[in-house]
Amino acid sequence: MGISDRVVARSGGPTLIRYLGRRALQAIPLLIGIVTLIFLILHLAPGDPTAVWFNPNIPPEVLDRMRVNMGLDQPLHVQYLRWVKAFLSGDFGYSYTQFRPVRDVIGDALPNTLLLSGTSLLVIFGVGCAVGSVQAVRHYGLTDSLLTFVTLFLYSMPGFWLGLMLILVASTSLSWLGLPVSGMTSVDHSLLGPFRKFTDVAQHLVLPTIALGLASAAGVARYMRGEMLEVIQQDYIRTARAKGLPERTVILRHALRNALIPVVSLLGLYLPLLFGGALVIEVVFSWPGMGRLMYDGILARDYPLVMAASFLFAVLVVVGNLIADLLYAFVDPRIRYE
Amino acid sequence: MTGPSALWSVTLSVLFLAACDAGPPRRADTGSARDSASVEQAGRIAAEAYREAVVAADSAAHEKISESNRYGGTIVVAGRNDVLTLNPLVSTDIESVQHQAHVLFTTLVRSGPEFESLPYLAREWTIDPEGDRITFHLRDDVYWHDGVPVTARDVAFTWQRVVDPEVPFFNPAYFDAWEAVEVLDEHTVRFTVRPRSNLLYGWAVTAIIPEHILGDVPPSELADHPFGTVNPVGSGPFRFVERIPGDRWVFEANPDFPEDLGGRPYADRLVYRQIPDDAVADAALRTGEIDLIVDANPASAQRLSADSTLVVTSFPAAEYALIAWNTRRDPFTDPSVRRALTLAMDRESIVDVVRGPYGSVSAGPVGPWHWTYDPAWEPFPFAPDSARALLEQSGWTDEDGDGVRENRGVPLRFELFFTPRQAWMDVSTIVQANLADVGAAVEPRAREQASLVPMVTSPDRRFDAFLVSWARDVPLDDRDLWACDRVDDPMQFTGWCHPELDAVLDSMQFVSDRESLRRLTRRYETLVADAQPYTFLYNVETVLARRAGLRGVSADARGAWASVTEWWLDPEARR
Repeated sequence: MGISDRVVARSGGPTLIRYLGRRALQAIPLLIGIVTLIFLILHLAPGDPTAVWFNPNIPPEVLDRMRVNMGLDQPLHVQYLRWVKAFLSGDFGYSYTQFRPVRDVIGDALPNTLLLSGTSLLVIFGVGCAVGSVQAVRHYGLTDSLLTFVTLFLYSMPGFWLGLMLILVASTSLSWLGLPVSGMTSVDHSLLGPFRKFTDVAQHLVLPTIALGLASAAGVARYMRGEMLEVIQQDYIRTARAKGLPERTVILRHALRNALIPVVSLLGLYLPLLFGGALVIEVVFSWPGMGRLMYDGILARDYPLVMAASFLFAVLVVVGNLIADLLYAFVDPRIRYE
Repeated sequence: MTGPSALWSVTLSVLFLAACDAGPPRRADTGSARDSASVEQAGRIAAEAYREAVVAADSAAHEKISESNRYGGTIVVAGRNDVLTLNPLVSTDIESVQHQAHVLFTTLVRSGPEFESLPYLAREWTIDPEGDRITFHLRDDVYWHDGVPVTARDVAFTWQRVVDPEVPFFNPAYFDAWEAVEVLDEHTVRFTVRPRSNLLYGWAVTAIIPEHILGDVPPSELADHPFGTVNPVGSGPFRFVERIPGDRWVFEANPDFPEDLGGRPYADRLVYRQIPDDAVADAALRTGEIDLIVDANPASAQRLSADSTLVVTSFPAAEYALIAWNTRRDPFTDPSVRRALTLAMDRESIVDVVRGPYGSVSAGPVGPWHWTYDPAWEPFPFAPDSARALLEQSGWTDEDGDGVRENRGVPLRFELFFTPRQAWMDVSTIVQANLADVGAAVEPRAREQASLVPMVTSPDRRFDAFLVSWARDVPLDDRDLWACDRVDDPMQFTGWCHPELDAVLDSMQFVSDRESLRRLTRRYETLVADAQPYTFLYNVETVLARRAGLRGVSADARGAWASVTEWWLDPEARR
């Protein structure tokens, strides 16, 4: 990994494929380590999956039978080997709490989380880079100071609090906007035409996307401002201005592209944060995604569900990092694919 | 850089979540009954009376909006928990059981307001003079939503699966007096039974499942069969439309539902949504995204009731909160100490803080929701002076002047466990302060449910005291909690038992007349109150918050959905 990998990636073609292959191979022991660790943490943490049925009306024999059905009567290493074996054959097992195959449970929730994370990612980098650039261009002016205050404020707010405040505002003083405060679709969603279906989901996306993305966007803005300020003071910018290029071209073509290079590498850092944040934001906004599944699953000790979901999150983060590394090579204007 | 960040973010998320807990999901069952063939006629009358009461309650609206204008609209209900499955064989949570019994399916009988059994799918039943055989005569106008008639074979099939040891049915006690079944014809089914109080109650909460769909499924696979989660087919007033997992269930009115059973429900569609966060549910109710919150947070209910567009009501839930003392350990081996601790607690203040107007101090295991409840039965008073005197008498004095009593050098200090939810934080804070006043030191300890339960149920009982609330069932079979021969069973937390109570609890399972059952229940309460193996804290009222445009909602201990077919929306409140 590191610089040498990136250099190889830049040359493209078969080398790029070989690079991707090597990164994929490197990811395998990493993922094995992650799932093993999570398996151990989950099973060594005190707790009993049948505790969710804690109720004097349910006779202990029924719960004992449930434990046997779940395989919990077996020693830990047997449970682990069974899980690995089933997992390798593509069988994630049955969720203890949902009465459905884990594959279906995740298949329903994952696209929703990807949608929310995707739009948030756009907000994080779109808004973040735009605000940061504006601040740098107007640095030390009133706009800059104002935006500095706002971004620092947002950066220090926890996402769930921001979410609750958004819900409060949207359901009271801004209720005329008609923004839905929970869920992903309206109750009449299935009766709508394709275009209204799209706008319906888009409306539901607004608040959770802002809640999930805004704090990170503020972070990116701070970072972007710094990078941009540094680039603007470089000699080649002065040269560009000196040869009479319009300010617009100087900023957008010469300064922005160079300032973006280190910012793109933030992508790899923000992905895990994004998935972690989705865990909380989805609960706040009743968004039917992976976050709520994980949350409920962990509290209920729904081992098969949590194992599969954690594995997927790990894969997403690894893939996200890989994409960030490739993007890094891609946005560097000094590199040309031959 | 990929390695550590991926590893730690996922691991930390797991650790973080393992450390917090939204409180125990409410598990459940409600309901049960007087059971005798002669009740049938009375049952019909009671059903009529009940229906009239619902209508009368909404009489103002009734006058303005004619019967025919009540049809239409989508009613959206929100609850804290998801409906996980509509498979009646494996459900324990209130929301699922309610949707099975009242929305999607029909049950063989249904419960009246006092949990007496009324006709439903069975239009009548007869019991042989010897009392060992009961014959149900079913309606012939109820159909599965795929068009197949509901027959005696479905009833027999449901019973066979419920008692099958391969099926994890959570309430086998409902049917432990039911021994054999015989299908006499399409619409007649006969069971062999043993004497049992509340004999028919199980049939009022266990929905009939379709044999023509599930007949070929091996019993061990029924729990995870997609019938419960993907494509349920019912026979009730509403038909299944779609489910978006983690979000909602959608049902539509069944136009073919028999007129005698209420006919087509008023609402075109009924939606159940899970909204886990109370504040979000409140906001959604105000914006009109939802029409009804079931089991609203008592604190926000008081705010919601100030809004003129909303209506807040409540009904007694089959649930109470308690502190269980581990009487295997000192100082709880001494009943005087347990009594003193109860006397020292200001339970009125606890109810005020935790439930507001939606609860009452509890005297014993039977609350206002149950027909055997005795309103004259007084809980222990708040009497710190008596508590101090009792503790002195049993040898607990503060010798070293540190504010905590000692007995032969051992301080009166113990741990109080609970799951980390706001109500328990509040209760434990008040209890800690109250008990400190009489010289007992409480160390509050929060543990998430999955780790607390094994502590209190495992044979070594690693606790002094724990705080919990739970739903109880109509048959009042509390032998699991108190029986001497079950002292090592998981639910016998306290280890306290009493030979007379054993006899009382046994008899309660076999008397059939309501007066005897009432008397036995009084004796049960007296024995438990005297020994105080639990400190009973409060009875819970379930809070319903709805938009004023949603009408016809009348709920009692049978559950929020018991009147669902009567719910209707003002035309201007429809979305």
